[in-house]
Formats: sequence, C-alpha cells, structure tokens
Amino acid sequence: MDRIDIETILNKIQLQTGCVCETYAHIENDDTIRIPADQLQAVIGVLMGDFDYYHLSAITAQQREDQTDELEVMYHFWKDTGLSLIMTLPAKLPQLTSIISIIPGADFYEREVAEMFGVTFTGRAETPPLLLPDDWDQGPPFIRDEVNNE
Amino acid sequence: MNKISIPIGPQHPLLKEPLSMKIDISGERVLGGSLRLGYVHRGIERLAQQRSYTQDIYLIERICGICSHIHTTTFCHAVEALLGIEAPPRAHYIRALMCELERIHSHLLWLGILAKHVGLDTIFMHVWHDREMALDIMEGISGGRISHAANQIGGVRFDLDKEKVAMIRSTIAKLHTQVEGVLDVVENEPTLRARTKGVAPISADLIKKYCVVGPVARASGVDMDLRRDDPLPPYDQLDFPVVTYPDGDAWARTMVRAEETRTSLTLIETILQEMPDGPVTTRAPRRVPKGEVIIRSEAPRGELLYYLRSDGSDSPARLKIRTPTLAALSLLPQQLSAIHVADIPVVLAGVDLCVACADR
Repeated sequence: MDRIDIETILNKIQLQTGCVCETYAHIENDDTIRIPADQLQAVIGVLMGDFDYYHLSAITAQQREDQTDELEVMYHFWKDTGLSLIMTLPAKLPQLTSIISIIPGADFYEREVAEMFGVTFTGRAETPPLLLPDDWDQGPPFIRDEVNNE
Repeated sequence: MNKISIPIGPQHPLLKEPLSMKIDISGERVLGGSLRLGYVHRGIERLAQQRSYTQDIYLIERICGICSHIHTTTFCHAVEALLGIEAPPRAHYIRALMCELERIHSHLLWLGILAKHVGLDTIFMHVWHDREMALDIMEGISGGRISHAANQIGGVRFDLDKEKVAMIRSTIAKLHTQVEGVLDVVENEPTLRARTKGVAPISADLIKKYCVVGPVARASGVDMDLRRDDPLPPYDQLDFPVVTYPDGDAWARTMVRAEETRTSLTLIETILQEMPDGPVTTRAPRRVPKGEVIIRSEAPRGELLYYLRSDGSDSPARLKIRTPTLAALSLLPQQLSAIHVADIPVVLAGVDLCVACADR
C-alpha cells in the first residue's frame, strides 16, 4: 500500500479550489486535513477525482468539553490508508452541505449526525430519524445541555 | 396493476432482529422499498463516555451477538495506541484466532439462514450443527460461546495450553471435513443456484458509490479486505487469499462467504502453527493520555471503524463506531427494486444484516 503524500493532496486542493488547507496532526493512523466547512463538496470532489478516495468510511461529529460553542465534524475516507477531513461548525444552528449527490452512501451517516448533533444538511430533501424514536423531543442527545437549553 | 405497500416489521416472524421495512409491490414485482432502523438502539456510543475504558470493553462486546470479539479487539487496539503500548505477539495471534472463529460462525450462521429462506432446510440444519463446533472451541478457550470477554487492554485474558491447542486442532479438522461436505452441496445444488443466480445483481460501481464493504463488496468484484489492505497485527504476518467474485448477484455473495469460511479454517491452522510463545498481556496504565486515534478492522461483514478520543480522564471523551451493516443497509432499497416478491428473503439474507450492529 502506498500512502499518498499529504502535501501533494494539499497542493492539489489549493490548485483546484483555491482553498489553503492545513494538516491536523493529532489523529493517529489517519492523515487529517482541516478544511473550511463551505469547501466540503469541492474538497471531496478533488479527493475523489484526483486521488480515487471514493470510499467514505464514516462521518463523526463531536463537541469538545472546552469548546461548547463549537461542533467538530469529520469525514473519514479510506483508500489503502485512511484520510480524514475535519471542520468546525458553530454549535448553535450548525449547517453543512449534503454530499449524497456525489456519495449516495453518505445518506445514513448524515442522518445520524443530523439527529444526534442537530446539524442541518442543505441540498437534500430531508433527514428523517435514523436511530431515535419518531417522537423524540429532547433535542440532539450528544449536544451539551447548555446549548440545548438556550 | 395497482401499487400495494406491505409493511414488514419491526416485529415479524421473517426477521431475526427488529427492523421496519415498507415494500412496494405491483403484482409479483417489487417496485422498491424503504427501511427504518433504531428499534434496538441502545446509545452505546454515549454510554461508553460514562464508563471507564475497562468497563467499556464489556459494554462494547454487547453491541453484537455474532461479531462481539472484533468489536472489543478494535477498541482495545485503539486504547493501546493511545497508551503507546503494544499487546504481546502471542496475544495478537489469540485475538486473530478468535476473529477467524467468529468469521466462521458468522458465515455459517448466515449460510443456514439463506438455505432456510430458499427452502433447503437440510442444509440449514447441517450448517447450524457444524457452526456449533466453532462455538464449542470459543467456549472451550474463553468460557463464553457468544460473549467471550477474551480481550483486555494490553492483551488477552487467557492463554492456550497444549491441551487447548490440541482440542482446537482436532475440532477444526473435524469442522473442516464437515464444512467441505456442506459447501460441496451448496456449490453444486441446482435449487440453490437457481434461486440465487442472477438475483439482485449489484455492480462494482454501485458498491463504490454506496461505500458498501465486506463480502457484499467482494462479491461484486471490489477487492477490499482490511486484513490484507490495512492490517492489524498479526494479519501483516499471515498469508491468505482474498476471495472476490465478479458477478455481484446473490449467488456470488453465497460463494464469497462459502470460500471465506474455508480460508478462515486454513488460517486458523496457520495461526496455531505460527503462534509465538510468550506472555499474553502487557501492563497497561489505567489513565489514558489525551489523544485521538482511528482503527479499522475487518469484521465478518466488512470494514469496522472506531474513532476514539481521550481527554486524559478515566472515560473516553468520544467513541464513534461505524459498523459494516450500516453501509450495506443504505443500498438495500436499491437492491429491492425490480425483483420478484419471492426473491425478497434471498436479497435480505444476501446482505447479512446485523441490525444490532447498525443500531448500536
């Protein structure tokens, strides 16, 4: 397996999207790139088109204990080795562009992040509940109470 | 002809686990379908944040009643990576031994269900009888048939003495003979072939678009197996073939799992032969330093991903688990379109759903 040089990927992203991204070196095993949330689709387009990263393993969202006003979302790709994209959203009314038009397999992952973290995905019809009951009315379970109660 | 919507589940005699489906039909043709998960959602990712790392091993083991061991193995690898420790080589081999036994028992269980769905009850009974041998081995070495509690952070909980290795060898040899007999029937039985050949084919392109993994992907010619492509130890030391079929239909999905069962039986013999001597645990600190890690492994149903973040406390700050069934389920509505009503069970069985894994 050949790990694609992360600098090559960063340069290509800059060339094609004009977006200057930097690496996030804190995740073991996966190369990780921090990107602006509004460039998500464009960056994924580069990863798929130029580097064959078609396989999206998962989408992870989390709220760090010391940054309750922010939400972090990660897209984990894999092709021989892992490559993750990381972006930061405001915890209040977080919004992301849906990628199901380019990766239909992201549907369930987006729905899970939507119901568990309250992220709105634009560009798709709706995000019906995936795991929570239809009558769940207590807010996204993973969002800390201080945000839910505002 | 009019369109009729048939609700199936969440509680239904056809289903082994709770899953709600709505299937639209017109006459004998299926037009499409949709599904709803969540009936066995236990909030395990959230619960894991409220327990210690050691307690989490036992929680995570209960995500699934089939592939429980690969869950704890992946989790322990993640914690060990953050701790900066490595389990001893012998522990890796014991973990892999359990993983392969789990794959055999999962695939045989699945094969029995498929046979039952197509009306071949004799194969179902033979296969499930043979599967008991894999469970007997796991019980014999760990004490548990389904929840083995084999893993601990830094290694495994038990060693294998000469008697146990001899027991595994003799049972595997017997199982191998039995399985060969059944698989010979599976491969050559005209009814099974007629019921699966050309049913619900999935192209490699669709597999890639829907990010489907494991035997379902390999049955469509997508050559991906993390044991070879992104191996956790000791798979980097082991040589084994990755089974792929180009056809992409229910027949190919049957053949991939049948051949993988053979491969796992051979792999167990290799593991026992190459297993080094030495300790099975290493000392692990209780407190996990701050850090983040992603571990991928090959569960019986395909790629399993764990993301773990520690904030330096006794419990994980975030544990994300993506199970292979969740990826496979997203393609199910597509698979259900343009098939015959009588093929619905074959298509459902072909995916090898594990709803408990998908719901977590």
